[in-house]
Amino acid sequence: MIVGHRKPLEEIKSYLDGCERVLVLGCGTCVAVCMAGGEKEVQLLASQLRMAFKEEGKEVLVEEETIQRQCDREYFDTIKNKVEHYDAVLSLACGAGVQMAAELFPKRVVLPGLNTTFIGVAEKEGVWSEKCRACASCLLAETGGICPITICPKGLVNGPCGGTNHGKCEVSKEKDCAWTLIYRRLEGQGRLDKIREIQPAKNYKAQTTPATIVHAAYMEEEA
Amino acid sequence: MRAKRWVRFTKKLLKEIGIEPERLEMFNMSSSMAPAFAEAVREMTRRAEELGPSPLKGKTKNAA
Repeated sequence: MIVGHRKPLEEIKSYLDGCERVLVLGCGTCVAVCMAGGEKEVQLLASQLRMAFKEEGKEVLVEEETIQRQCDREYFDTIKNKVEHYDAVLSLACGAGVQMAAELFPKRVVLPGLNTTFIGVAEKEGVWSEKCRACASCLLAETGGICPITICPKGLVNGPCGGTNHGKCEVSKEKDCAWTLIYRRLEGQGRLDKIREIQPAKNYKAQTTPATIVHAAYMEEEA
Repeated sequence: MRAKRWVRFTKKLLKEIGIEPERLEMFNMSSSMAPAFAEAVREMTRRAEELGPSPLKGKTKNAA
């Protein structure tokens, strides 16, 4: 899932300076799971903003909505007639969701309430870790299901480097060496021959910006 | 305990907007612990008197 965390309140308040009507808009998918932008977090942030504005003596109407997904335009149907009543929409979606909202409501100021951080997994309740950098040329078949592009600070496709230190990384003793993890995983699977294969240089051309994907079933037929 | 974490987090949220986090507290007790309950109420009353009225009181019509 996409993991994000809320921006500092002061930063959010500075975006809303001069606004009199604000809609805090949550997203019920990834950012709800990582407790950053779902319905509960919308309620918390909206309450905080109402209290903060009240304390400052400002008359600002702060209302709340949460839709199932902000990265699919059809989910905005339920709120599209409501948005025109606000000066600003404070979106608690990931960066993709904020941009979708901004595209759908070009006459409204759409603002980000989160910093989108990474693609990752839940390690335990309240803790997430990065697992994928969306590099568009997945190596996991060769590396025992552990991504060196993400886990290794150098992003080495052949490792480990000379900085590996009893299973930890030279960058930080807190960080595991990705290539030691890969070695152990492959060793456990009896596939250590994989680590002896030299991987070609990473194909960074695959990682185009901005990327677009058209599903094969939706491609235009060739004449 | 999940509730304890969330109370701690909510105190941070209050502090962030300039409201004294001491206004919120969680006390653990069973339904049969009347003296402990009374003591918790006395403690919160003492804090409320010490802190004075809520900073939000009488600011604007826009309810929190």
